[in-house]
Amino acid sequence: MVDAALDIINASAGYSGRIVLDAIKLSARKGELTAIVGPNGHGKSTLLKAISGLVPVTSGEIRLDGLRIDRLRPDQIVERGVIQVPQGDLLFPAMTVHENLLMGAYANSGRLAERLDFVFTLLPRLKERRNQTAGTLSGGERRMCGIGRGLMAGGEVLMLDEPSLGLAPIVIEHIYEVIFNLRREGRTILLVEENAERIAEHADMIHLLDNGRIAWSGLGAELMARPEIVETYLGV
Amino acid sequence: MDVLIQIVASGLTLGAMYAVATIGLSLVYGSLNMLNMAHGAILTLGGYICYAAIVHAGLHPVLALLAAALVCALVGLLIYFSAALPLLRAENFETNIFIATIGIGSVIENLMLKGFGPYPIPQPLAVDGQVVIGNVHIPLQNVFILGVAIVLMAAVAILLQRTSTGRAIRATSMNREAAQLMGVRVGRVYAQVLALSGALAAVSGIMISSIATLTPVMGGDPMLKAFIVCVVAGLGNVYGAVIAAIALGLLEAATQYVLGVRWSFATLLLLVILVLIWRPYGLFGKQQVVRL
Repeated sequence: MVDAALDIINASAGYSGRIVLDAIKLSARKGELTAIVGPNGHGKSTLLKAISGLVPVTSGEIRLDGLRIDRLRPDQIVERGVIQVPQGDLLFPAMTVHENLLMGAYANSGRLAERLDFVFTLLPRLKERRNQTAGTLSGGERRMCGIGRGLMAGGEVLMLDEPSLGLAPIVIEHIYEVIFNLRREGRTILLVEENAERIAEHADMIHLLDNGRIAWSGLGAELMARPEIVETYLGV
Repeated sequence: MDVLIQIVASGLTLGAMYAVATIGLSLVYGSLNMLNMAHGAILTLGGYICYAAIVHAGLHPVLALLAAALVCALVGLLIYFSAALPLLRAENFETNIFIATIGIGSVIENLMLKGFGPYPIPQPLAVDGQVVIGNVHIPLQNVFILGVAIVLMAAVAILLQRTSTGRAIRATSMNREAAQLMGVRVGRVYAQVLALSGALAAVSGIMISSIATLTPVMGGDPMLKAFIVCVVAGLGNVYGAVIAAIALGLLEAATQYVLGVRWSFATLLLLVILVLIWRPYGLFGKQQVVRL
């Protein structure tokens, strides 16, 4: 696999002895949108946390551009360019939007002005709100701030954990427009989403995570053509 | 009018000392969720190091102050590596570190008792002279304490607000996991915060001993006051702590004048009780409100 940015090779992970992920094997290819779908509580977020080094990988490997990253500290993984926009945003509520964005560039502060410009152009609402504390933003604005903060890191792989969670449909549409645009610009994106339908059309590759294992992998259109899988695993 | 000036002058001095004693405690609680029970002992150690550096080593008072700050910063680091770091890996960190730091504080206190003896020693770092406002004579020492406290608080504020290190400290205290996802090495932040807290404690110990005397147990009272300030302000809120410290200093000075010294501590405690009934999360603490 020449063009894989992120390779997860038979990785298992879990919390204090309880295995949540069981021998996961998948890749996120350069410039593609790779999606992980599946029911709640089946390990999607744990997978992103394991990649970020927040949950220990107990066996198997995770590689970025061929180099192992699964034994590194979370800050070292960020330095290597694997950036996560966590579920529920996890903004710094008492900091302003601007400070939150600066925190995004903490590990990699080169070309700061240029990146800030890019984020403000992509998400103009953040520019309007730049001096407002993040704790006072609306749900949609918070999500944009979380994504903007992730983009400030200028990383190689952007991982997004359920960016649609808890938002109104019209806001979800806007957020996904931004994500699909990033994909068109050639960003490598690893996206976790509960609703397969929402991303089926745009994802280059979809992996279905069920009970800590990859139950199915394929193209988005293929998944939608298999109603029995969608019904069994995603309850649609 | 003279009475008012007197109360404000001594209240501000008290408040400034409490503030410097509290900032470190509050920073450490804010970032690590750690109540550092050794804070009082570190504060006392700072006073003794300054004394020893001037009297025994013949250092210039400014160098003695820096030496004390440095030694106490190293003690902070030592606490991080010997207690906080190993305990962070286990469960119940808050309880365990609370008990561990009581032990560390006790060791430091007894080492000072062994090294310097139980008898009160005057702090040689003192400024002579006084300022006269109206009919009130204010010792220059108090003005000096206030000045140093203001400079220190401004320096801490600039560090927290304007530097990348300070932002990382604030980020870690707001959300540890999110800070890690930004590439903040939280272990380093914890070490920095404990070192900074140690250095601030040293300066506060020197200030307090310069208007009282040095004894191995002198840290107990300021640490208790610092805890009260922290709780009133909302644990971990550094800026709230500074305001609360100065307000409590002024209140203490006013109570001492109006009701007498023996009532001042009781009044402080009464105030804490009232504040906690009114706002259980502290005056400047915030209830978590999430908008969707």
